[in-house]
Amino acid sequence: MLTEEENEALCRVGPGTPMGNVLRRYWTPAFQLGDLPEPDCPPIRVTILGENFVAFRDTEGRLGFLDELCCHRGASLTLGRVEDCGIRCLYHGWKYAVDGTIMETPNLAATTFRERVKHGAYPVRAAGGLGWVYLGPPGTEPPFPAFGWASAPADEIVVSEIIMDCNWMQAQEGSIDSSHVGILHLDTLATMGSGPRSVGSFDFAGEPWDLDMQVPGGARREPGQAPRPGVWPSEDNAPRIELENTPFGFHYAAIRDVTDEPGKVYVRVTAFVMPYTALIGGSNGAVIVVPRDDYTCSTIGVFRLPPGTDPAAAAERARRGIDPAVWGPEPENRRLRLPKQDREAMAAGRSFAGFRGGNRVQDGAVQMSSGRMYDRAKEHLVPADLAIIRLRRMFADSIRLLEAGHDPVGRGEGADFRQVMAASQIIDAGQDWRDLVPGHQGSREPAN
Amino acid sequence: MSVVVDNACTQIWDALDSGAKVSSLRVSPVVYDAVAAARAGEVARHYPLMLLGLPLVADHAVPTYDPVVA
Repeated sequence: MLTEEENEALCRVGPGTPMGNVLRRYWTPAFQLGDLPEPDCPPIRVTILGENFVAFRDTEGRLGFLDELCCHRGASLTLGRVEDCGIRCLYHGWKYAVDGTIMETPNLAATTFRERVKHGAYPVRAAGGLGWVYLGPPGTEPPFPAFGWASAPADEIVVSEIIMDCNWMQAQEGSIDSSHVGILHLDTLATMGSGPRSVGSFDFAGEPWDLDMQVPGGARREPGQAPRPGVWPSEDNAPRIELENTPFGFHYAAIRDVTDEPGKVYVRVTAFVMPYTALIGGSNGAVIVVPRDDYTCSTIGVFRLPPGTDPAAAAERARRGIDPAVWGPEPENRRLRLPKQDREAMAAGRSFAGFRGGNRVQDGAVQMSSGRMYDRAKEHLVPADLAIIRLRRMFADSIRLLEAGHDPVGRGEGADFRQVMAASQIIDAGQDWRDLVPGHQGSREPAN
Repeated sequence: MSVVVDNACTQIWDALDSGAKVSSLRVSPVVYDAVAAARAGEVARHYPLMLLGLPLVADHAVPTYDPVVA
């Protein structure tokens, strides 16, 4: 639980807010590189951390990330012309380079102004199919999180973004919440032919209900195929949680008894990289949650494909079984709308959650159902929520440290991001889960 | 509150790992009052104050940021 004041501090991300100041001290994934596919292509508006920006790719292919409004009279540069190594405002023709240099001011002949003033511009790095920006004070950038998967060629990366109408912490806490997987995602596990078949006194009746849904890693059980218990080899819905801080954030392990194998445990190790990224056990990529403003966020899945895979086909598969009506009006239908639950299937015991479409729809439904900004004063956390509890503490510590003139925690100094990984494996009950993540660098000591 | 809850949760897992039973959480009166203020509805309905699944006990001997699992 958090007090109202703590909740406000945790959730609000605009300029000058405690959390907004903290988040601006990390590299932020701001846009998809696929939205700026070629030199001089149309610019895009990007909303992150409660501010609007314009992103563009200039004639030389360089990425620019500038304050959205022209510094002359405030017209949006997203309407502008991208040409001759800059972006030009339509209103009076002022033109800007990717570094904010004011290249031309057609209605001001004197050069003194543009020689002395720059437009707001921010460092941009391209990695893992995303444009990452740094919005903090110049010279305070942390090491760039150069994940192993982020250096893959563009045609081996697939990016899938969902815009959700809720505060970002609701999605972020969901991304590190292991104990919901065998419950909310029971329909998904059933489609995979694996995992628990009951939640409390609820038991599945018969065959999986949504055979078209998208499942992690393509681990679908086709009709007529025998159950595949090895995909999720446990019916234990009360995992033991172990957690250790690392230079990048923390690793936590959800440890479950393995069905019919005494002495074995099923371990899923998640790496949480401050402040946006979760590498989840069993996945070959990352889930990144970025606040757009206080009431909307982007959940971005970045996954590495095996060499030779068609990225377009992979992206299409990522939406397999999701009703197009679920997706809203943003470009490429990125905004998630709550679908209608299939109450008939739920009542008949053929579905637990009643949401067709798989984990992303199920997650989005419950996360948005808490309201635009969830009040954490009334919640009753339990020990299984340890990762969520630690996440909030790391943010609270970071706010306090930054206000005292120090860096926030988990900025990755000393970490080799290429070695940061997750894991999902059956091991002997006596084996240490840390063995599964060699880049662990963990400590049980507080981060500060 | 985030520090208090994190410290308490870590203690609970340590206790469970060592096979101990946990039955209550002793906190400083400051923390107790903060929880009570946040959960005014539960207090009005005469429910016991609980945190992390354990009944809360106010204890002047407990430091603010270091709750004690008992």
